[in-house]
Amino acid sequence: MGYKFKPELYLRPKSIKETTNALMKYGKAAKIIAGGTDLLVDKPEETRVLVDITGLNLGYIEGTEQGLHIGATATFNKIHDSPFLIQQPYRMIAEAAWEVGHYNLRNIATVGGNICNAVPSADAPVALIALDTEVVISGPEVERNVPLLRLFRYVRETSLNSGEFLKELVIPPQPRNTGTSFQKIGRTKIDIALINVACRLSLKKGAVHDSRIVLGAVAPTPLRAYEAEKGLKDEKVTPEIVEKVAGFAAEATRPIDDVRSSAEYRREMTRVLTRRAILDAYEKALGVSG
Amino acid sequence: MRQRIIFRVNGEMREAYVEPKTTLLELIREDLGLTGAKEGCGKGECGACTVILDGDAVPSCLVLAAGIEGKHIITIEGIMENGKLHPLQEAFVRYHASQCGFCIPGMILTAKAYLDKHPNPSEAEIKNIMMGNLCRCTGYEKIIEAIMAVVNGEEF
Repeated sequence: MGYKFKPELYLRPKSIKETTNALMKYGKAAKIIAGGTDLLVDKPEETRVLVDITGLNLGYIEGTEQGLHIGATATFNKIHDSPFLIQQPYRMIAEAAWEVGHYNLRNIATVGGNICNAVPSADAPVALIALDTEVVISGPEVERNVPLLRLFRYVRETSLNSGEFLKELVIPPQPRNTGTSFQKIGRTKIDIALINVACRLSLKKGAVHDSRIVLGAVAPTPLRAYEAEKGLKDEKVTPEIVEKVAGFAAEATRPIDDVRSSAEYRREMTRVLTRRAILDAYEKALGVSG
Repeated sequence: MRQRIIFRVNGEMREAYVEPKTTLLELIREDLGLTGAKEGCGKGECGACTVILDGDAVPSCLVLAAGIEGKHIITIEGIMENGKLHPLQEAFVRYHASQCGFCIPGMILTAKAYLDKHPNPSEAEIKNIMMGNLCRCTGYEKIIEAIMAVVNGEEF
């Protein structure tokens, strides 16, 4: 397997400009490599040129007044251990990072790769989308910012144009009294997700003022459960409300049957994980305000 | 096109000319003759190919050789100290942690890299860290016992 994977050139650009130039020059024959943990499993046969972006110093995690900035090549272990991600509501990102693969893989696997590979089951995107993360995309002419959710077009398809690559994630400051929760079910601990759910609840006077419920592995791209979010607006978190909106989340899914599980199971477990995520996020939001 | 890379292996400066698709595992086994690291799954799921790259244990089947310019690789052949086996190696001997042995270099290097940074882990933590190293003889109990003996300060 992988015998058709025959890159002819390995480039190590030292600047954004060199990177975008190489991407423009070689088009679809060029593949970006950072951790390599997806690329060297998939071994896409059209690859002729590998563009190693680990020399661009994008492995940082920084806090500023505009929010948290995570460079595209930050590894999952670095994210998990970051002092900026220890506290609510950002802790969910560290927790989702810890669920990717196994420890040694997380020493090299990067968050940017996890996003750009665009597989529906990826763990990082759902947690990041629930915090309204924007991505900074570098291109040949300009940089542009896009909400992370809009980067995903289909299974393994992003809205990156030719010559563009993902440079940074920006997670905006969150409202006070916000709690988050990331939930995942997999066949084994190191397997990809059967379903993953991320929830953010922001409370005002004991009721939900704003929320995000994001579902992974149940549609071609990560999915925001808008009906469920609407159902929570201005409500107190009671068992009845939680049950109702978890049902809305399950209805929003378009899961597939595959070797890992049936579509029916995925839909039912979406209900269960959404319920768990809301209750857990609620408890954490109360903890933050208390 | 072959590319020249300069790197260190077990403390020694080396130079190699590698194809873009050559993995770190192929480089150390085929070119450098260090055969402690094994290819198991070739997908980063089994841990048999584990080496230490700039202080972190990584699956060398998923690292390209062309990308290791300037880095330091430690393999199982390079962890003896003053002519004596590393304490983890001694512990694996004393606790009979090795059966067929195929997975053992990876097991020891994963444990070493982690213990170098986190000297006092719990057993649960060690089990979590070792999750990506599979032993098909299923000798996990002894392996964990051996690692925990080192953590707990047993003399080796």
